[in-house]
Amino acid sequence: MSITLDFDAKQLAKSKQLSLHYLPAKIQGDGEANVEKCFNNYTRENPDYGSGILTNSLRGYPLLGQQANVPSGYKGLVLQETEKPLIDTAERQLRLTGQFDEFIYWNYDKVPSNADGYRQALLMTDVAEALMYQPIKQEDLDAEIQRHKESKKENS
Amino acid sequence: MSKKSTRSSQPKPDPEAAAKPTTVSALKKILFVSKSLLELEDASSGRLCLERFHHPGKGQSALFITHPNGQIMELLEYAEPRRSWLINNEVCSNGKIYMTMPLDPTLLAVHHLRKHCDQKAISLDSIAVEDSSTTRLLTKFVPSQGLKCIADVKVSGDLTFYKYNAERTMAWLALKTRQVQAVLKAKQIHCGQNAAQSQNFVRSEKLQVENNSSDVDYLRMACDIVGRYLDIDLHEMLTHYLDIPKEIQALAEEKNAAQKRKSQQGQAGGAQSKKIKLNAESEQDQNTELKKSGLIDSDSGGSPPTPVAPTPLKEHSMTAKEKALAKGARGSKSITSFFKVK
Repeated sequence: MSITLDFDAKQLAKSKQLSLHYLPAKIQGDGEANVEKCFNNYTRENPDYGSGILTNSLRGYPLLGQQANVPSGYKGLVLQETEKPLIDTAERQLRLTGQFDEFIYWNYDKVPSNADGYRQALLMTDVAEALMYQPIKQEDLDAEIQRHKESKKENS
Repeated sequence: MSKKSTRSSQPKPDPEAAAKPTTVSALKKILFVSKSLLELEDASSGRLCLERFHHPGKGQSALFITHPNGQIMELLEYAEPRRSWLINNEVCSNGKIYMTMPLDPTLLAVHHLRKHCDQKAISLDSIAVEDSSTTRLLTKFVPSQGLKCIADVKVSGDLTFYKYNAERTMAWLALKTRQVQAVLKAKQIHCGQNAAQSQNFVRSEKLQVENNSSDVDYLRMACDIVGRYLDIDLHEMLTHYLDIPKEIQALAEEKNAAQKRKSQQGQAGGAQSKKIKLNAESEQDQNTELKKSGLIDSDSGGSPPTPVAPTPLKEHSMTAKEKALAKGARGSKSITSFFKVK
């Protein structure tokens, strides 16, 4: 089974920039909403909480937000599946809806900080870089084997 | 306020959404895709693909993103329990973020080589004849240079055969772990026993408070990260190879140290209570011994043994505190003496 991300470089370059909000709420439902009038209209910058901190509210619950960038080296993509096949093993295709490089990260009732799970999760990107394939020299490998043998001898 | 302007320029109804106003069945997905994967050629040479390969750490298949040029990355999902997206003028209930994470595909190959090429050298395409996805993984995405680190390579004519080499694999994994350890250190990522605490209280502040994670903690965490891509037994072997003490052991040691300190503080009290216990125990032993002997005595028809009076035991078990209380109470009236039965 495989899922094809059905777009090429041209389509990617042409794709529209989307504006996104990452909301701290579970919304049961998908579909259109009057985001511009009912949400964006009420976004304010509130220096009380620090520079660049935005406030808004969702159903009366206060939100604190911040402009966030997609982590460096990454591009944000929004993909959509036109129809989900009934069989799991069938080939699937995801089409490109748009792209984004920044979005607004909203927190409920607390100022976005490094303590947020999202920010901490991003630390993994740095770690993963280290895991990435890089050719390891034959000498290094031999040296490591040698070193381990010696340390074993010392212990025994 | 460039953000504002882009937003205000976009509210016009977008034709795609208008065509199908309810997009319930077609969930949108948010992906953070590494830019190196997005260097696609215009020609229809191929597309990015999400494919399932065996993930040794999970023991089952997992999704990986593959590029037609042979790049492969893991697809990770970041999900908080209550999150959703607003995309332009649409609500997206799928609050997950899918991220592509680079990894060394050689790590994925270790499992297969260990399983199939332990005894004899086999060519890559005949390792897993029944499993086409594994063959695809090994022949298309695992670099041959990487395979050299975990296997002995034998070339005969056009064919290349691989035989798993445990010693080299361990050495290679150790080098990998050290690399990860170096990154953890450089990034000052908190790990070790008090990781959860310090993440929450220190990282939120902008200051980089001194990090008291030790080298071993970094090494253990690095080993765990590498271990996420290994079979469980191999992970254990790596931990052993790197001489990392088990976390429980480390915890126990720390606890012991803490207890020592405590007992040193209150040494006198501790010793005393111990003594009392010993006394009580020995007395009980005597009791039982006496009883036993008593039983024998009664069987033999001798006089019944005198039961050992509990009073001396009580005297012995008076602790310093009780003694002090008794001393203080001397001369004072018993509270019951105020009431008389009429």
